Amino acid sequence: MNALAPVPSVSITGLSAEYRSRLGVNRALDEVSLDVASGELVAIVGESGSGKTTISQAIGRMLPRACRITAGEVRVHGHDLATLSPDEVRRVRRESLGFIPQDPIASLDPTMRIRRQLELALKPLDRPTDAASLTALLSSVKILEPERVLRLFPHEVSGGMAQRIAIALTIAREPSILIADEPTASLDAQVRDEILELIVDFVRRSGASLIWISHDLGAVRKWCDRVVVMHRGAIVESGPTVRVLDAPEADYTRTLVAAIPARTRAPREREDHA
Amino acid sequence: MTTYSLPLVRRKRGATTRRARDGLFIASVATLAVIVGIAVVAAVVPFAGDPAKIVGPRLSAPSGAALLGTDALGRSVLARLLEGIGTTLVLSAIAVLCTAVISVILGMVAGYLGGWTREGVMRFVDVLYSFPSIVLAILIAAVVGPGQIAALASIVLVTVPLMTRMVSAASMAVAKRDFVTTARISGVSGPVILFRHVLPNISGTIAVQGTYALSVGILVEGGLSFLGYGVQLPQSSLGLLIQEGSSYMVQAPWLLFSPAVVLVLAILAINLVGDTLRDRLDPRETRSLV
Repeated sequence: MNALAPVPSVSITGLSAEYRSRLGVNRALDEVSLDVASGELVAIVGESGSGKTTISQAIGRMLPRACRITAGEVRVHGHDLATLSPDEVRRVRRESLGFIPQDPIASLDPTMRIRRQLELALKPLDRPTDAASLTALLSSVKILEPERVLRLFPHEVSGGMAQRIAIALTIAREPSILIADEPTASLDAQVRDEILELIVDFVRRSGASLIWISHDLGAVRKWCDRVVVMHRGAIVESGPTVRVLDAPEADYTRTLVAAIPARTRAPREREDHA
Repeated sequence: MTTYSLPLVRRKRGATTRRARDGLFIASVATLAVIVGIAVVAAVVPFAGDPAKIVGPRLSAPSGAALLGTDALGRSVLARLLEGIGTTLVLSAIAVLCTAVISVILGMVAGYLGGWTREGVMRFVDVLYSFPSIVLAILIAAVVGPGQIAALASIVLVTVPLMTRMVSAASMAVAKRDFVTTARISGVSGPVILFRHVLPNISGTIAVQGTYALSVGILVEGGLSFLGYGVQLPQSSLGLLIQEGSSYMVQAPWLLFSPAVVLVLAILAINLVGDTLRDRLDPRETRSLV
C-alpha cells in the first residue's frame, strides 16, 4: 500500500471465520478482503447464510462466542481491534461505529421511554439533553409530534417510527462508520424509501462510510456506490453498483440479479427479460 | 351467523377463565394480606397476649378464654401462632432477599458473558441442585448449629440454584437483543449494560422466581424446624408449632390444625400470586393457575 494513500475507514484482509457447534464446524467467512473508504456507500448482498452479517459483526469485534476468526485481520481507521485492550475497543466503537439493526422495535429498550434512551445516548458525548435539543433531534429524522414521542415507550410507536428513533440514536453520535443490517427489512415500501433516504442523507452530509447489508438489490442500485456480492462466506464479485448489477461477471451474481422482481430492475433489463 | 358462533363461544370461555384467574389472584393477595397484616399487628400490639405466658390448663380445647386452645404448657396457641407466623415470614423474606441478590448477580453475569463463565456458574448451581433440599438443610444445620442462621442459610442454598438458572436464561435472551448490541457498539461498558438494560428487562422473571423462592423458603423453614434444626424454643415458628402439635395429634388436634392451615394457605397463596405474575408478564404463557 502507498504510504501516502488515505487509510480506509474499514480494511478487512484475508478474513476467515468459522462457527463451532456440537454439530461440527461451519465456515462463515473464507478469506474475505474488503476496503471501505471514507464517504463510500458499500452494499453487501447475498443469500441468507452467505456471511454478510458475520462481516458486519467482525468490524466491531462483536462476533458471537461460537464464531472464531481463524485468519486475517480487521482494521477500523487503521486500528486492529484484536490487538487493543477492552477499554480501547470500547473507545473505538464509541467514537467510530454506528449500528442500525434490522428489527426497529427490538433495537429500543422496552423498559425505557424514548426520552431516557436518547438522554443515555447523548450524555456520554456531552451533548445537550434538554427537551428542545431532543425534540430537534427527532425532528431531524422527520418524526411528527416529537414532544409526544419523547414520552412514549417503544411498544407504543410504529415500526417505521421506531426505526427513525433508532436512526436518531445512532446518527446523534455522528459515527464515521455506519453499519446498517437490513434496516428496512420489516418495513413497508413507502416507509422503507423514507428511512433509506434518512440514512443516505446522513452519510452524504457527514462524510461517513456506510456498510449496508441488504437483500434489496433495487434499493442498492439506487443508493450505493459499490456492491459486494457474497456466496458461501466468500466474495464472488465486487465493483461499482451499476457495473456489477448490469453486467455481472460471476454466475452467482447473474442468478441473484435474475431473481430481482421485474419492477425493481433498470428499464433496459426489463426489456431484455421480456 | 352460524359461522361466528364457535369463536364467540371460545371467547366467552376465555373470559370466564380470565375472571376465575383474577378471582383466584385477588383471593390469594387478600389471604396473604390477612396473614401478614395480623402478624404485623400482633408484633406491634400483642392483642392475643404474651406467647410465653401460661393462660390456662394444659391442652385445653378452643374456648372464649383461649380462641385456639392452649398447648402442652398451657400457653395460648393463638399468641404462639401469631409469633410463629411472624418468625417464619421474616426469616423466609430475609432469606429470599439474600437469594435474589446472589442469584441476580451470578445469573446476570453468567447469562451476559456466556461461555466458560456461564458453564462454571451453572455447574456450581447444578451441584447445589443435586442435593435433596432437606438433606442440604440438615447438613448446614450440622455445620453452623441449629437455629435461625441455619434456617436462613438453608433457604438461601436451596433457592439459589433455581433462581440463578432462571435469571441466567433470561439474561442470556436479553443480552442477544438488538438494543444491547447497539449499546455495546456504542461503547457502553458491560456492568453499565447489565444494570441499565439487562436488569430492568429481567425484573419480571426475578419477581416471579422471588415468589416461588418465598414459598420454598417457608417450606424449608417448616421442615427444618419440624426436625428440630431450625428455630429453637422458646421462640416459635410454623414448623416448630407443627412439630409440637404432631406430638399431641390425637389428644389435642387444634395444636396441629391452626399452624398447618396457615402454612398451607400461605404457600398456596404465594404460588398463585407467582403464577398470575408469570401469566401477566408473559402473555404467551397459557398454563392454568392451579
